[in-house]
This record gives sequence, structure tokens and C-alpha cells, in this order.
Amino acid sequence: MHEKLKKYLGEISHYLAAVSEKEEILTEIKSHILEKTEQEFGEINEEAIDKVIDTYGCPREVAEKYTEGFEIIAPSFKGHLLRYTGVLFALHFSLTLLSFIFKTSFFVLPFFYIPKIDSFQELFYVPMSFVYDLGLVGLILYFVTQSRKDVRLPWINLKINWLKITKKRQAQSRVIPFILMLLGYAALVWIYLRFNTLFFKTINLQKAESLLTPAASQWYSSALLALLGIGLAGYGIKFLYTSEWVNLLRSGFQLVILGIVINKPIETPFIKFPFLDLPLIANIILTVILVWVAIDFLKSLLILGRKAFFKKPSQKNSSIGR
Amino acid sequence: MTTDITPFETEMNRGFLQVLVLVLLERKMYGYSIVKNLEKKGYLIEENTLYPLLRRLEKKGLIQSQWDVSEKRPRKFYVITKKGQDIRRQLLGIWQRQDEILTHVLEENKNA
Repeated sequence: MHEKLKKYLGEISHYLAAVSEKEEILTEIKSHILEKTEQEFGEINEEAIDKVIDTYGCPREVAEKYTEGFEIIAPSFKGHLLRYTGVLFALHFSLTLLSFIFKTSFFVLPFFYIPKIDSFQELFYVPMSFVYDLGLVGLILYFVTQSRKDVRLPWINLKINWLKITKKRQAQSRVIPFILMLLGYAALVWIYLRFNTLFFKTINLQKAESLLTPAASQWYSSALLALLGIGLAGYGIKFLYTSEWVNLLRSGFQLVILGIVINKPIETPFIKFPFLDLPLIANIILTVILVWVAIDFLKSLLILGRKAFFKKPSQKNSSIGR
Repeated sequence: MTTDITPFETEMNRGFLQVLVLVLLERKMYGYSIVKNLEKKGYLIEENTLYPLLRRLEKKGLIQSQWDVSEKRPRKFYVITKKGQDIRRQLLGIWQRQDEILTHVLEENKNA
């Protein structure tokens, strides 16, 4: 067979991998191309075949014409793919956080099994669980599509669109808050350098006394500065580059810091303090921060996912008779 | 500013092409001859659209095909079936009614 035709048919064949009548289709196309070449160019040679192939269309487009109507997931369910994955992943992620905080494993068989893992393993486990959730939802929607039944998948239409991408604020209106935050951060750094802590027993700095033991002071103050520093850097980067990726990375790094803090607690971090159960209060504050950052992280992930899944289809070139 | 009519035309052609092929295949024809026949009538059709359409019509039993290997080059000939003729008659009836409605509305608009 002619090399160019062989290559062309080979490419179409690649895209028709799942079509049962592939061979018959390829024979039809081959027959048509050879017929047209002979009729319009008088003879069959590589150059003439190349010209005819050019008018026939690119392999992927040609193959797709045969697979129309055989969607893996029906278009009407595509919105549910991300919605359900979002819900499932939120659940999965929450259980992972709980397992991480309480240092125990969780399972809701047959769907979830969250092993007891450390912060480093967590970094790999979270994206993996997202892929798992997407796959599970995709599989269910695939079976629903293939059943060809009129299924109405449930979804609550909340009035508030949590994923709505708000209109970007003018960079100018963010300058003053940024300067104030920068000054605040500089003040915190100064306080830390001056007193070796950011956690005080009293608000009177002239009689400054740390709420924590020296080792804990250094550890938790550094962690707090790192958390705030990452937040500030994320805010600053947005002046130069506006993307949801910045938010995702910011909250991702903050989660890592929180993970390290939770995973490596210091023995007896607090000094003796009357009336208040400091460890309990600290745990509550830490959990609130963790949930807050985790929600931020999930929100960014879903916004990016939604953008990737629901890109506007590029306008295809078309001509008469398509 | 001119609006690109192509997507609208593509949408319109989907149904039209189906009827056109059913009308054309009253006699036996092969793919390339269908393209050339329509081209002579001023209707350009992409080959990569025609063959999947023929395949769909055959699957629905509206046309049937047969490879002819008696010539130098094998050719796949298509012809309409009894079921196809029945469907074509009904589709042409629908098309005629649609044409009448459209003409009527356009007349009304003209006289308004």
C-alpha cells in the first residue's frame, strides 16, 4: 500500500480503537481515496494521494464522525461529574483530615479507607483520593449513560453559588490592604525577634511573658509566621499573576505547614495557666484554621476542575453538508 | 460585522442531507459517485460526513450496501430499502408541510 495512505489509515484506526466495524470503515475510506485520486489526478501516486488525504480531513476528526452519539458519559450528566466528585472528595478530604488529626484510620466500606498516615504521605494521598473519587463517579455515570434510561440525577440548587468566580477586584483597591498586611507582618516579625515568641500571657509587652515554653514558643511562632508569610506572598503574587493556581498553591503550602505542626507536637508546650484549659483551646483554634484552609484549598481545586472540564468547545471549521 | 452562518447551516443540513441521500439512492450508487452527483447539482458535501451518514442509515435498515469487486477497484454500492422508501415518503411529507408553513409565515410577514 502507498506509504502516506497507510500512515493516514493507521492514524484513523488508532482513534477508532473502540469501534467494532473499524476494518470495514478503513476499507471504505481507502477505497474512496484511491477512487478520487485516480478520477481527479489520472494516476495514483504519493503526491496525488497526499492532496486527496488533505481534503478528507484530519484523522481524529474523521474518526469522531463515526463515534458521534456513543458518549461514555451523556452530555446531560457531565455537570454531575464534577458536582458529585466535589461532594465525594470533600467527604474524603474531611475524613483524611480527621484521620490525620486523631492519628487513626477511617473506613466507610466499600468506598473509603483512610489509613493512618503522616504529613508527607498525606501530600500524595490527597491528590490520589481525588482521582479515585473522579473515577468512581465517572464509572457510575458511565453505567447510567449506558442504561439509556431517563434518569434524573439529584442535585440541590443552592441559591449561593460557592464556586462563583467573583469579578476580579481592581489591583489598586488591593494595594492599601496589602501594605497594611505587610506592615502587620513586619511588626509580628519584630515582636518575634524581640521576645522570641508571638504568644503572650499578658498584653503588656513591658512585662512580656510567654504563654508557651521556650521550645514551643519558637516552634509555634515560626509556624504562625510561615502560615501568614505564605498567605501574604500569595496575596502579593496576585498583583503580577492572577490565577486560581496561586490560591491553590497558597492553601496547599499552608496545609503542609499545618500538617507538620499537628504531626510534631511538642511535649508540655504550655506554661501553667490558671482557669483555662490551654491545650483544648489551642486544639480548637488549630482545627478551625485547618478546616478554613482546607475549604479554601478545595474551593480552588473545584474552580480549577470546573474550568478544565467545562472549557468552551473550540469552534470547528465546517463547510456545507457537515 | 457579519455573522458566521456556518454553524446554522451545518445544523440545517443534518436533516436535509439524510433526506437527500435517501432520494438519491433510489438507484445504486457508490460513495464517490454520490459526492460527484451532488457536486454537479451545486451541493458540496464533505466525504468524511457522507460515509458515517451512510453507515448510520444502513444500521437503521433504511439502505443496504454491497461490495462490488468485479471492477479494477472494489466499490461499495448503496441502495434504498423498502423501509427506507417508507421513511423517505414520510420525511418528504414533513418537509413539504414545513415548507408550506414557512411560505405562509413569510407571506404573512410581507403583508403585515
